[in-house]
Parts: sequence; structure tokens; C-alpha cells
Amino acid sequence: MPKYLCMQRSLPGGDTHKPSPAEMQEMYSQFRAWQQKFQENLVDMGGKLGAGRLVTEPAADGPFVEVKELVGGYMIVSAQNLDEAITVARGCPGLVRRGSGVEVIEIRTS
Amino acid sequence: MSTPQLVEHFFRREYGRLVATLCRRVGEQHIEAVEDAVQSALMAALESWTVSGPPDNPSAWLFRVAYNDVAGTLRQGSRRRRLLEQYGGDAVDSGDSGPVPFLANEVQDDLLRMLFVCCDEAVAERSQLVLALKTLCGFDVREIAFRLFLSEANVYKLLTRARNRLRKSPPRTEGPSEAEFSSRIPAVHKILYVLFTEGYLSSRQEAAIRRELCDEAMRLATILAEHPMGQTPETFALLALMHLHSARMDARQHGSGGLVLLEEQNRDLWDREEIQVGLEWLARSAQGDAFSRYHAEAAIAAEHCLAPSFQETRWENVVNYYSLLERMAPSPMHMVNRAVAVAEWKGPAAGLAVFDGFEPPDWLADSYMWAAVLADLHGRCGNVELAKRYQKLAWKTAPTPAVKQLLEHRLQTSRQTITR
Repeated sequence: MPKYLCMQRSLPGGDTHKPSPAEMQEMYSQFRAWQQKFQENLVDMGGKLGAGRLVTEPAADGPFVEVKELVGGYMIVSAQNLDEAITVARGCPGLVRRGSGVEVIEIRTS
Repeated sequence: MSTPQLVEHFFRREYGRLVATLCRRVGEQHIEAVEDAVQSALMAALESWTVSGPPDNPSAWLFRVAYNDVAGTLRQGSRRRRLLEQYGGDAVDSGDSGPVPFLANEVQDDLLRMLFVCCDEAVAERSQLVLALKTLCGFDVREIAFRLFLSEANVYKLLTRARNRLRKSPPRTEGPSEAEFSSRIPAVHKILYVLFTEGYLSSRQEAAIRRELCDEAMRLATILAEHPMGQTPETFALLALMHLHSARMDARQHGSGGLVLLEEQNRDLWDREEIQVGLEWLARSAQGDAFSRYHAEAAIAAEHCLAPSFQETRWENVVNYYSLLERMAPSPMHMVNRAVAVAEWKGPAAGLAVFDGFEPPDWLADSYMWAAVLADLHGRCGNVELAKRYQKLAWKTAPTPAVKQLLEHRLQTSRQTITR
């Protein structure tokens, strides 16, 4: 089955409201439900991305702040096609919300 | 892969526990740094645990993260460094061993200590309540505003006042002294009582949310009762009254969310186990000379719980307890309640006679309760015109649709024909 790289991107005008403990618990439960629903599709839960630097020749000025600011995290899902991968990503609580979007890219290995 | 479920209210409970424990360690004057650190630690947990599952000991994980965060914050700045050198052997224990693990009973002590910190007499009662809801119960400003029917700006203001006071606390980590503990106990009782009644008496919210406030009050009161310092007859009476009210909570509400009159409540729905627990606390409260308002209120609740039916209620006892209550905590509301009980005991005319020579203050005269009680008593006495007038007034002043519905039902089925 094809694999897809999902990258979370923050968009301008994000939600600045800090979730309360009760809301965090709710998010945790939703995440759990989502994980169970798409168990088959979740290949690698990935993680958060920290600061990075673009390596080029000749060396460019860095660090590339926008990389850190724009991409929050990644994960890898397997799906029949792009649409299914998008469905999985869209269902993930906290991934797609106001001020945040997810970019889904097919990983071609052949 | 699937992440295990966390216990109910895990994040809220951890919030309260961590704030209490860290405040004891670094001093409540650093309450803001502590709250920020706890919030960040919970966020970090949410992010990390959803990806790789929670660690074996989630509480210890959270404690370590929050502790390191707050210790780091406090290490910054020379003024703070000086303070920490002086007082913070424990606070900035940066040795390799890391923070010492905590014990269950120590956590209870920390929560209790924080409860007493919240009940600072220099802070207005409303501020104390908001601070307790924020720090011990883990509700945020929006959630507190929603539960107490205040604006968010108002909650924020109340919280700021309480925090400003804490910030001025002497830089020490022991918290209130033993003398302060005993002098603050009445304030602690009051805050728990207010927290409970906010949940129990509110007619403006769905049951689950009201129940939550009651549960929080009972949880904190139980911690108080488990501590030698908190084991007073008043604490036990307070717990008795909470359990006895809580036993009837489900029966007070019918399926559509409206309130059900006491006399029409299905007594089979009353929680027998809760009644039992309440009666046990009541028995424990009957020691020493103390007879507080909590004793009187618990005794009234017990009378209702023990009565096989509305008609068989020992109204004479209820009336006597209301008289005691009026003497201990004078309030026209208690008088109104007494009049209602007298009416059941000796008839509606005797109930009305309770108000002879009484001028209700404006807040009472304008309330639906006053109007509804008078409409009912006059109706039952056959004073048709007066009954109608108060009925209209009650309708006009009913605060919510649920109350309006209850009134409509109550006043239309008013036992006008019953002569007693």
C-alpha cells in the first residue's frame, strides 16, 4: 500500500487559546479514538519537528526560521490513495484546526 | 499501536495536584510560574503521550517536567536567585538525583495546604472560590465563568486579586502556620459549602456540570476530614449535608431536565448508599458542644432522607432545625423555608403567620421564591386574589425556563382545596 507523509503546518491567524486541562483530556480521548479507528493506516506516528537548517552548496545563511515556524510535526500513514490518506489526516484531532493545516504528500519508493 | 485510556478527570486532577505540590516546594508567591509550568507540562504530555503512549508512571513524568520547568524559571534573575539560595534548598535541588518522589498522603497534605492558602482572609470570598476552582480543581477562566455565571473578565479580575495577595506572601515554603490553619478552618468550610451549593442549587445548568462542582466540593471536604487538623464536628457535618443532598440529586431532575418538587420526587431514586454515608458522617459530627449551621442543614436533609413519604416527614423537627439555623446564620431565606415547613406541619395559615410583622428586604421581595411561597400559602388559605397576584409576580421573576415550568406546575396543582 502506498505511504504518505503528513506534515502539520501552522497558518497565520492560529488559535491562541490555551486548552484547559479538561479540554486536554477531551483531546486525548479523541486522539485515542482516532488512533483506534485508523490503526491499520498509522505506520509511523512521527513526532514534533524542532529547529532546522537548510544545507546547500554553497552554504546559505541560516537558520531557516520559517521551517521551524511553519512545520510543526510529521507522521507517515499508509492508504490506498491520496484521498484516503487525507481522510485519515483530517480525522486526527489537533492536526487540522483553525490556524493549522496538514500537507499530505505521497512517498514514492519505486 | 494504541494509547491506553487515562482515568476520568486525569488532567484536571493532575493540574490541582501539581500546583499544590509545587507551591509547597517553591512557595505560593510563585503561583504564576507554577501554574505556567503545570500547563506546559500537561501540554507536553498530551503531545508526547499521544504519539508514544503514556509512561509507566504518568504522574511522576508530569511532576518531573513541571518541576524542572518551574525550577528553571526561578533560577533566572538575580533577585530570585538570592531568594532561592536562602530558602530554596528543596526548590532548586539540581542534583543528579532529581526531585524526590512523592507519597500519596503527601499529595493529600499538599492539596489541603493549598486549600488553606486559597482561604486567605485578606481575599474576598468570591476570589477565594475562584482561586480554588482554578488551582485545585483545574478549571480555566472560561470554565469557571461558565459555572459561576460570571463574565470571563470578572473571573480574571477575581483571580488577579487573589494572586496579587499570594505574590506578597512571605518567601517561605511552609505555607500557613498552624495558628493560621485553625483560624482559617471556618473559611475553608464556607468555601466548600459555597462550591457545593453552586452546583446543587443552580437551576441554570445541565445536571452533569452541576454535579461536577458538587463532586469537587465533596472530594476536597473528604481530604479535609482525613487530616487530623480538619477533623472537626463542622467538617463532618458539612460532609453529612453534602452526601445527604447528593443522594437526592438524580431524583430532583426529571428526564427533560426540569426540576421535580420534593413531594413528587420518586423516593426510590434516592441513593440509599449515599444516604447511609451521609448519616454516618452526621453521627460523627455529633461530638463536642459544637452545633453549627452545617449541623442544622445536615439534620434537615437527614429528616427528608429518612421520611418514608412527603406526608410522613417529621415537619416539627424540620421547623425546629430551621429555627436553630435562623439563630446561627440569620437569613430571611431560612425564615421562608421555616414558613414552608410550618405550613406542612400546622397548616398554611400557620405558615403565613411566620411572616407576621416581617418586611422582606428588596432582594427577597423581588425574588420568585418569595412570590411563589406566598402564592402557594395564600392559595391554600383560600385568599384567591392575593394568590393570583403573587402567582403573576412569581412568573415574571422566574430566572429560567426550568423554574418557570416548575412554578407553573406547582401553582396550578396547588392544593387549594385541601383543608388542613
